[in-house]
Amino acid sequence: MQLEDYKHDMQRCTRCTYCTWVPYQDQQKDREFFKGCPSEKKYLWNSYAAAGKWNIGYSMINDRMEMTDMTVDAVFRCQMCGSCDVSCKVVNDIETLDFMYDLRAKLVEDGYAVPAHVELIEGLRAEDNMLGGKKANRGDWAKGMKVKDLNKETAEVAFRAGCRFAYDEELWPIARGALQILIDAGIDVGIWGDQEVCCGGRAHSIGFVGDFTKYAESNVEDLKKAGIKTLVTPCADCYQAYKVLYEKYDMKPEGVEILHITEYILRLIEAGKIKFTKEVPLTVTYHDPCHLGRLGEPWHGWKGKEVNKLGLLICHEPPKKYRRGANPDGYGIPRKIIESIPGITLVEMPRNREAAWCCGAGGGVKEAYPEFATWTAGERLHEAHTTGAQALVTACGWCRRNFVDAINEGAEDIEILDIIELVQKAM
Amino acid sequence: MPITDIEYYALEDIVGADYISRDPAVIECYCQCWGHVGPWGGKYSPRPAAVILPGTTDEIEAIVKICNKLDMRFKPLSSGFESVTFAQCDDRGLLLDMKRMNRIVEIDAKNQRAVVESYVNGWNLEHEVAKYGMMAAPIGVGPSGGVIAGACCHFGAGNLNCSMGGLGRNVLGVEWVLPDGTVYTMGSGEGGTDWFSADGPGPSMRGVLRGRAGANGGHGVITRASVKIYPWYGDSEITFAGPEDQSAIHKGISSVPERYKIFMVDFHSREKQFEALRKIGMTEACQMLAGALAFPLTEGNDERYAATVALQEAGVDFNRVADEGVVGVIAAETERGMAYREAIVNSIVEEIGGDYMPLGEEQQAQMFPALMWNFGYVIDAFRNTGDFLISPTSEGSPEKLLNMRKAADAIITPEMRKGRLLDCDVSQVFLIVNEQGAGGFHMENVCFWDPYNEDSVKAYLGVAMEAQNPDAEKSPFPHLGLPHLGAGLQIEWTHHVHEDLGPVYNNYDYWLRQVKHAIDPNNAAEWSAYIPEKYDPRFRDRVFWNGEWLSQDKER
Repeated sequence: MQLEDYKHDMQRCTRCTYCTWVPYQDQQKDREFFKGCPSEKKYLWNSYAAAGKWNIGYSMINDRMEMTDMTVDAVFRCQMCGSCDVSCKVVNDIETLDFMYDLRAKLVEDGYAVPAHVELIEGLRAEDNMLGGKKANRGDWAKGMKVKDLNKETAEVAFRAGCRFAYDEELWPIARGALQILIDAGIDVGIWGDQEVCCGGRAHSIGFVGDFTKYAESNVEDLKKAGIKTLVTPCADCYQAYKVLYEKYDMKPEGVEILHITEYILRLIEAGKIKFTKEVPLTVTYHDPCHLGRLGEPWHGWKGKEVNKLGLLICHEPPKKYRRGANPDGYGIPRKIIESIPGITLVEMPRNREAAWCCGAGGGVKEAYPEFATWTAGERLHEAHTTGAQALVTACGWCRRNFVDAINEGAEDIEILDIIELVQKAM
Repeated sequence: MPITDIEYYALEDIVGADYISRDPAVIECYCQCWGHVGPWGGKYSPRPAAVILPGTTDEIEAIVKICNKLDMRFKPLSSGFESVTFAQCDDRGLLLDMKRMNRIVEIDAKNQRAVVESYVNGWNLEHEVAKYGMMAAPIGVGPSGGVIAGACCHFGAGNLNCSMGGLGRNVLGVEWVLPDGTVYTMGSGEGGTDWFSADGPGPSMRGVLRGRAGANGGHGVITRASVKIYPWYGDSEITFAGPEDQSAIHKGISSVPERYKIFMVDFHSREKQFEALRKIGMTEACQMLAGALAFPLTEGNDERYAATVALQEAGVDFNRVADEGVVGVIAAETERGMAYREAIVNSIVEEIGGDYMPLGEEQQAQMFPALMWNFGYVIDAFRNTGDFLISPTSEGSPEKLLNMRKAADAIITPEMRKGRLLDCDVSQVFLIVNEQGAGGFHMENVCFWDPYNEDSVKAYLGVAMEAQNPDAEKSPFPHLGLPHLGAGLQIEWTHHVHEDLGPVYNNYDYWLRQVKHAIDPNNAAEWSAYIPEKYDPRFRDRVFWNGEWLSQDKER
């Protein structure tokens, strides 16, 4: 949407500040962890909160916004984690996060992209990935595995590693482990190997919508060609892009079920194809990845118009279902898996599910503002520590990488595990 | 003249470069707020010259002294969630965003008080004092409202006024950077005997601190305040939960705490409603007591409309019940105490002739956070149409307010019928009992308007202007008091409330200006939402309208 299309939403931001907190009636359990927005907590100015972005956008369409370095900084120094969107929508009917995506797209269109992001996009255009690796090396993570090649064969299930798992060698055992679980369960599964390309989700989040749609089209075409019925990925970003963003941009892959690896693993557990035989005597806490949790809420696809009822009540025709962070599977399934492992004790962090604090890696922050990314992760690691857990479990390669980096840079130390690693320990 | 580089660097020297900014990206986000369309003709108030984030009282003292020296104006804000927060009278105004001063300094349960810094909001304090079996007086705006803002600087009323009094009555002492930069400790704190009383030694400054409506930052910066806290009979850990497949708004407490009970009674007439509020209030049986402000708390407006239609079809008219009913919360430390209070309420309901509304356990659990902590009030105020108006509004005897209620209906309801205000059948009312009725009632006649709908703006202006008509012959509210929360929600150089209504009410504006002059001889504390030391005719000639300074004769 154009910024002008958000005009009434911009006007209706009241400056209540709810966007900076986790929802009051929901998850405010410990005063130390009441804040929900990393950007506003760290940089303090209202411009860094979602409310500030509404203000900047409104002033842009009113031709009174000077585009200074700080304007660009306020818009891009944010993980786009969606915490603000959930909290704002407790009190208001406005599309905060969608607007923030379009605000970034507008800045990019007007020539205000962040240099580090431009570098990322140049790398993406050249090598089809967001990690700066060579295209030819994309399939190296799966070397030696006996699995169908979707470039030559068809399969029921496609396994997609995603850029982070494909190029981050430390994460290869997780990607290989996830794929091996499917193979061992007798699933008809294949991979694209070095021909897999980026999902486009990260390009979308930093405002390069054209690049996103290009990759989306190509990926949807690949699914069709390989006759895929189910796409499974351990990458929360890819999952959200295929499931939510492709549908938002009317490119939903018809007839293909999009599943995060946790969803598939739960099915295998319930079908008796995965059996836990070993005890894992650990107290763990679970970190909800933004893209699997609140951002993974299905796209409701509303189309219609704003109308007034009862004289002036701002309503919609047909009634509009807003995305407010309600995603029971995204929150519940990883927890079900963890709780089904013998010996495990799951303890919750004060902020969880739709109110989870971001790991810090999203929205192009890790690439453009690495110190902010690790600060954000450090806050989460501290929160994890307060639960008394021995390990923090997550279900996203980006989260895992960023937590480990933060620990290496001095954040509070705790064992970081991907949920796949936990499942493997118990099998 | 805008502030110069040298002036800016003098301020930067106090807090450091990270904590001051005049970048357009920052200041543009400190001039947009709800409620601005009325006084400013659009979403914008004048931009501040700079915004600063002080971290200590010493820094504030230094900032204020520089403002005095350099003829700059300063104004503090906490949440900033108020239409008067950002108002500036010229281009030399500095906003102090108090975000870095967010400490709860002390909770003294034995002596029933808590000491907080400027940014601590209502829910932050509520949550912490609950651990000590205590609760703080909540503000009507809800959990995000600042404790000090409500208690010391801006009109603060909440649902628990009945048992706790207006927020201004809960102040036991403050640390106060006066407009000339003097750090003053009020009340017993001044004598070094801790902050247990706002009065003495020497003359009391309580009235100057707060008055009725507060100075909205026009009298300096309150850096710390000691406020009263009261017994809380619920769990020390307030736990919220809800179904995983629902959004956050559906989450809340699972049941009403054992030592609390909610009742709602339909009295079928306003006269009986007012009588019941007075009589029940006087018995001191209730912790919370108000008119039955009721609205369906739904996910969004579409769901609200559907719920409204469904209720109407089921024969439930929540607008009428809100207009004629009473809602209350009884709290007691013991079962015997609870039974005694219930019996009192029952006897009064029977005597006046009211019908208890059936409230299921789930419904009571949903109502409890709204009634006790004002959760959900932000939704009702803003989500419906974008904005709300609370004029006419006043405090006083039930008889006076009943008259005002009738007069308010006469100007608000016709606009509802025309579709220029949200059609709630009757004007809505926020009607709460002050200090068990001994302090009369507080009443806000509420209507909902869309600031970006031309017809609705006209209706809003019509209601607001009638409510502040100084001409007793023509006003529908002759001698019913000052509009806009007693001039707590006005921009003086735009609305001219004190200037026009002062002569009607014993020239009170003269004395208010004397106070301003005494504590702010250099006119350094930004006065737009308070009062200037003297009226400057320039402010009759020029306006800030729709983002621009205009002369008054230019057509808006």
